Amino acid sequence: MPTPVIMPKVDMDQEKATIISWEKKEGDAVKQDETLLIVETEKVAIDVASPASGILAAIQFQPGDVVPVATVIAHILKPGEILPGIPLETSPKPVDVQDFGRTPENKQGSPAVQASPLALRVARELGINIHDVPSENRKVSKEDVEAYAASLKSSVGTTENVTGKIAATPAARRISEETGIPLDSIRGSGPLGRIQADDVKRTKKPVPSSTSDRQAEIIPLSGIRAKIAQRMQASFQDAPHIAETVEADISRLEDTRAHLNEMATLKGKGKVSLTAILVKLVAWALENNPYINSSLIDEKIYLWREINIGVATAIENGLIVPVVHDANKLSFIETAERINDLGRRAREGKLELGEVQRGTFTISNLGMYGINQFRAIINPPENAILAVGAAVRKPIVIDNRDTIAVRPIISFTLSADHRVIDGVVAAKFLADLVKVVEHPEILLE
Amino acid sequence: MPEITYLEAIRTALWDEMKRDERVFIIGEDIGRYGGAFGVTHGMLDEFGEKRIIETPISEPSIIGAAIGAALLGMRPIVEIMFMDFTLLTFDQLGNQAAKMHYMFGGKATVPMVVRMPSGSGTGAAAQHSQSLETLLMHMPGLIVVTPSTPYDAKGLLLTAIRDPNPVCFIEHKVLYKSKGEVPEGEYTIPFGVADVKRKGTDLTIVSNGIMIHKSIAVANRLAQEGIEVEVVDPRTMVPLDTKTIIDSVKKTGKLLVVHEACETAGWAGEIMAVVSSSRAFDYLDAPMRRLTGKNVPIPYNRVLERAAVPQEEDIEREIRAILNGEY
Repeated sequence: MPTPVIMPKVDMDQEKATIISWEKKEGDAVKQDETLLIVETEKVAIDVASPASGILAAIQFQPGDVVPVATVIAHILKPGEILPGIPLETSPKPVDVQDFGRTPENKQGSPAVQASPLALRVARELGINIHDVPSENRKVSKEDVEAYAASLKSSVGTTENVTGKIAATPAARRISEETGIPLDSIRGSGPLGRIQADDVKRTKKPVPSSTSDRQAEIIPLSGIRAKIAQRMQASFQDAPHIAETVEADISRLEDTRAHLNEMATLKGKGKVSLTAILVKLVAWALENNPYINSSLIDEKIYLWREINIGVATAIENGLIVPVVHDANKLSFIETAERINDLGRRAREGKLELGEVQRGTFTISNLGMYGINQFRAIINPPENAILAVGAAVRKPIVIDNRDTIAVRPIISFTLSADHRVIDGVVAAKFLADLVKVVEHPEILLE
Repeated sequence: MPEITYLEAIRTALWDEMKRDERVFIIGEDIGRYGGAFGVTHGMLDEFGEKRIIETPISEPSIIGAAIGAALLGMRPIVEIMFMDFTLLTFDQLGNQAAKMHYMFGGKATVPMVVRMPSGSGTGAAAQHSQSLETLLMHMPGLIVVTPSTPYDAKGLLLTAIRDPNPVCFIEHKVLYKSKGEVPEGEYTIPFGVADVKRKGTDLTIVSNGIMIHKSIAVANRLAQEGIEVEVVDPRTMVPLDTKTIIDSVKKTGKLLVVHEACETAGWAGEIMAVVSSSRAFDYLDAPMRRLTGKNVPIPYNRVLERAAVPQEEDIEREIRAILNGEY
């Protein structure tokens, strides 16, 4: 291994020495204890002897340079040895050297940092690298170090330190919490950028840019909209929603609908909508799946005996859910009449309170808008809601010989409150629904 | 209201209580003809006689031991320990006996004893006659620790101390003996565990005791001219400690400096900070809590060094400014 030549320490209080002259050149063969160079302390000039025999290599300092003691100033190579071309900083150095900052590059010929011992100690205590302290080409003094430390302190703009945490006083944190003013938006005026209580108080609460500088029509959240907002939010927060989707072939249902419409026309009644038919079919499926027709109230599950199906109805400024009471006891045509009547009066704002109460299940149909499939939010205190998509003609496999045919397909998505309704319970309901949708004659018996 | 000295306030309390209650007597060194090392009991021998002003040999453990015995038998002894430093001789009597008896005898025994003791530096009396050892006493459950800072507090607290059924360490600051203040002539008592806000302020709370109260107030009054309002809280009794007043004050100011003459390591400033940081006041702190205390050295004899060993007004001012300027 190459033998390092270090700046020797010959006096008790010596911290550095000045190189006077090199007696050997790079590449010279030297013997152990032969004088390599002459250095001068504050008291004496001394000969520095070679620590080993070999070739003098990698001289790091030139005459005139002031070098801290224990700094590597050159190497002695044995025959055949080479000095890896590593920068001096990464070679092992005595701890003391660090205080003197980076050892300058030899080629630039700049002197090592000069600093008083007091300055070095102060720098060490303040955690400052002496090399970073501006010295204007003279010896770094304690005052220089302190001035530099002060400038660092005042120039610190960000409050985030290396830990990624925000420095703030407990009072600042409390006020931030109380006012909603985030600490990460505040520039701290305290030591090392710490956020003080006053910094938070001086900061304006940030307003979303969408309302501060952008033009908009502003509609207060009130009336039915506020009610919807409150109920939907409560439902979504309180009820863990699960959703399951099935598709059903409604070929026969369309036939049934055509048949019912003929009957209605003959009886002088209004048309039977798909929704009306679905209400009846859903009522049948609910009779077979009581948990879907339930409510969770005060830690009790109510399995309702009556089947009152709400039909989500869009009105001018929102949504209302008129209820078809005892839907399982009505005929298709009665159901259709009831829904037509409720829908018309809903849009006219003439529903009576009893007509929007006591629902046990809700159907929301967006099929007429071309929505294929969607998930609805449960209408509390009900435990489930059925989202009905558009009837779409699709090629499907209709038998076990892989025959493909085009059929009208509709999707049903049931959202259910998982606190009460397990996935399988929801699935059984949907299976029953598909069965009755694909075989509506069950209800025509 | 008449102005009297701290010393006179203490003597008045002793005098009045001895007149009022014949069970009260004083026992200590040089307290008779000499009137005590600081003159507190001056004239009391002539008034009350040798049976109630009892002079003793130089043996502090014996003095306190005798007082404990008398207290157990229903007397109301008041001990004068010439310098607080000498209580170190008496820690078995104070800590193992007086403090514990009520507890270890199932409440059947009480030790209604007052031990008066001058504390503090500032008289050039050197390391064995200048200490502030209240923290040692605070650390022994069963002892009440009182540190009056004014003549008014001294009289009111001493009357409470004499009438209290517990052993009370009544710590007088020797430099305060000549300080003057208004004291009512009649009888009044100050309950233990009630701090006194000696100066109201909004910007920083100083919790202090004894002579440091006066230094803190002097600095606070100077800083008020710059619009800095420092609140000075005097707990008056270190045990029991009025934590509520301290917490409320820190909640108001958001900044705390604890100043005591007692040395720093394990000093009671740490106790105050622990009380504050574990209370609701934590969320109101807007700077690190700081303490300014006596240095961890024996009090030097040399006057310059003695002064440097304990907080002075300039130190208090520097600390206040540093905290308010966010230098910590």
